Amino acid sequence: MRERETRRARGAAGENSVDWQQLRALLVAGIRLDLRTSRGGMGRGKLPPFVIALITYAVMGLLMAVGLRPHDNLFVYSLFTISAAMFMTALAVIMEYVTIVVHPDDFHILAHRPVSSRTYFWAKMGNLLFYVTPIALALTLPAAVIGSCSLEPGFLFGLFHVLAGVVACLATAAAVVLIYTGTLRVVSYQRFTTIMTYVHSGVTLVLVLAYFLLPRMIEDDPTLLSLNRGAWVYAAPPAWFAGSVELLAGAGNRQDVHLILMAALGSALVIAAAMNTISLDYSRKISELTTSPVETEEHAGGRVRRRPFFRVGLASLGTGTERAGYVLMDAYMRRDRKLRSRVYPAFGLPLAVYITALIRHDLHSPFVQSPGGSPVALQEIMGLYCIFVSLFFAAAMTQTEQWKASWLFYAAPIGDPSGLLRGARRLVIWRYLVPFFILLFVLLSLAMPVLGAATFILMVLPMCLTAFAILSLASPHMPLSQEVERTRQARQLGFFLILGTTMIPLLIAIQLTMQDKPAAAGPMLAALWGLAWVAERVVGARLRRRLAREEFAG
Amino acid sequence: MNTHTTDGTDGAVVFRDLTKSFEETEAVAGVTLTVPRGQICGYLGPNGAGKTTTVKMATGMLRPTSGTAVIDGFDIGESPLEAKARIGVVPETGALYENLTPREYLSLVGHLYHLDRDEAQGKAETFLELFGIADASGRTMSSFSRGMKQKVLISAALLHNPSVLFLDEPLSGLDANTALVLKELLRDLASQGKTVFYCSHVLEVVEKVCDRIVILNNGRVIADGNVEELKDLTSAASLEGVFSELTSTGDLPDIVRAFSESVTGGKGE
Repeated sequence: MRERETRRARGAAGENSVDWQQLRALLVAGIRLDLRTSRGGMGRGKLPPFVIALITYAVMGLLMAVGLRPHDNLFVYSLFTISAAMFMTALAVIMEYVTIVVHPDDFHILAHRPVSSRTYFWAKMGNLLFYVTPIALALTLPAAVIGSCSLEPGFLFGLFHVLAGVVACLATAAAVVLIYTGTLRVVSYQRFTTIMTYVHSGVTLVLVLAYFLLPRMIEDDPTLLSLNRGAWVYAAPPAWFAGSVELLAGAGNRQDVHLILMAALGSALVIAAAMNTISLDYSRKISELTTSPVETEEHAGGRVRRRPFFRVGLASLGTGTERAGYVLMDAYMRRDRKLRSRVYPAFGLPLAVYITALIRHDLHSPFVQSPGGSPVALQEIMGLYCIFVSLFFAAAMTQTEQWKASWLFYAAPIGDPSGLLRGARRLVIWRYLVPFFILLFVLLSLAMPVLGAATFILMVLPMCLTAFAILSLASPHMPLSQEVERTRQARQLGFFLILGTTMIPLLIAIQLTMQDKPAAAGPMLAALWGLAWVAERVVGARLRRRLAREEFAG
Repeated sequence: MNTHTTDGTDGAVVFRDLTKSFEETEAVAGVTLTVPRGQICGYLGPNGAGKTTTVKMATGMLRPTSGTAVIDGFDIGESPLEAKARIGVVPETGALYENLTPREYLSLVGHLYHLDRDEAQGKAETFLELFGIADASGRTMSSFSRGMKQKVLISAALLHNPSVLFLDEPLSGLDANTALVLKELLRDLASQGKTVFYCSHVLEVVEKVCDRIVILNNGRVIADGNVEELKDLTSAASLEGVFSELTSTGDLPDIVRAFSESVTGGKGE
């Protein structure tokens, strides 16, 4: 008996080697978990959320490829499409990190079982590979097919484009893993998730900046597209892979030889480095976050410092239920670092575009044409991202890992349960959206007349509020009452496309009208605020009916 | 029975000066005890006494700040895989991969302990049948009740025939019949030489099931013995009385009165 147990424990593995039987079992379980919905999504004829996410990515990849059109220059076309795929992959891994790479439950379920850190690590890498490879394929395959049909190397281009795209995306995912684990090495457990919130936002900012700046740099300096593309390509990882595609498809030059070497070496290094970071011990660190006491303002003996807008928002609420939702959401936004990490990156997107637009002098008063003459300048894209902020909140505010505590909402004698959601939404508006738009007004005032900045804000804010109201219907639940969903980023991207196609034309139409007839600005702004008010009323009535019927999810 | 161990001790569970600190809080403070093979040891204490932290250290889920935990002769810190292969755990958290079915989850557990596939499958089917949840074995556990999940957790803890069981509130959510079965099962397993480390707040069950009771308060062992010894120690008539006398922070009737007045606002009906 005892010898048998020892044999079992050692199996094929010591603490530093891989146990293949365990690895296979963990991989299979991980894939099953990836493919299933949060609540019993088996055998109901529904597509698994991961498949829906892949379809979304494929559509995005197709739109991206069509939008970029196969550029005559094979390098540039690959550069655009691969950098976009890397960008999307990084965002996906950042947003799903806790569920894909290391889940706190792993520790509670596996830590007392005889699983070596190495086996656990390989299982996690396998799951990451399973997660990232289809995403990379969905993002790069459309561009490869379109490129194959229109670029000279034909099929060879498509083949190597997909290959380079997948390796690039895997290296990107590994780089994200490195950033996370690297952070955990130098900070305490307690500070880890707080820092992660800012890492999320920071990485998003850097990625968005790179995404916007790189193509613009090329646009500004066409010599970058010549055979001698300059030293910048060595500093831009997507260029390494684009150069690799060019070389492998038979259209390369000497610089491409350097680039393919850098792509191979860079990928190998980053993947190897990431391989040495994930372990069950790392999962323990993540898990200890949940068992260690968290120092709050109250524990520290001080008073909770409320932002000035907090009291304004609280005073605007009429019922106790609404105030309860407001205060609850405030507490969670202050203390639930994971919740914060899901919404804070949203602010990085418009700020990144603002910085890019500032550098490129692309900011303009809504009363005058953009410097480039195009109706869709970076400022309009920034406006769209501002509206997009509401989507992050609308999706996140109903989800938490402590969702089971929401039984209270269903057991308490609440006449209008939608009041809780109304209160929570009001908190988001007063604590986040209003201060953010004020900050944006100040930033815009640096680059345009104050009247123009104010008009832009008064135009975009009601659109953001309208979107926030409508998007609440996409997740019509009590605040913090639902389990955190995987693949929500794919749905968010889907909504982003819908928002983009509806809000951008509206924004442009209003600005063009203002440029022709400045006197129309007042009525149009009034109409936008009226629309926000109507949307709030209509959606509010619908949520009231919907939430009156809602049942506890547990 | 093979008695070869890495440290020469004879107990199935040996804690030596086991300590765990979280920053300035000492959750477990120098616990030393030995649980011999075949014994059911009840581990009691008020909320926050350090019971679950002790179990987490003993099962390798937390590293002790100092001290050692030796399971069946293997130091959990030095030989974690050997020690873990010998233990079955029902954790207080009730953590499961809820999007797996019980069959899939037990199959995963079987593989993690290197059980033969047919053996694991056969045992899993039997456990689920005996626990009365065989009909639900193809459904994901996210829709399960607390008791159904607990049955799966207990099945997973027993699947690999461990020599030491760490049970943290194992009856949580179980119906009366299943609880009865589990209590008898523990006695039967103990008679076959298996050791059970049983954490619970349900004193009646501990009194009936356990051969020995260790009471923990503020991270320290404050009493250790069988029920009769503890009664003699405190001159209380029941384990409930012993527990209250050793761990209560105030006079019980006073506390009850203060609560009652607070609930009714001092206006009793």
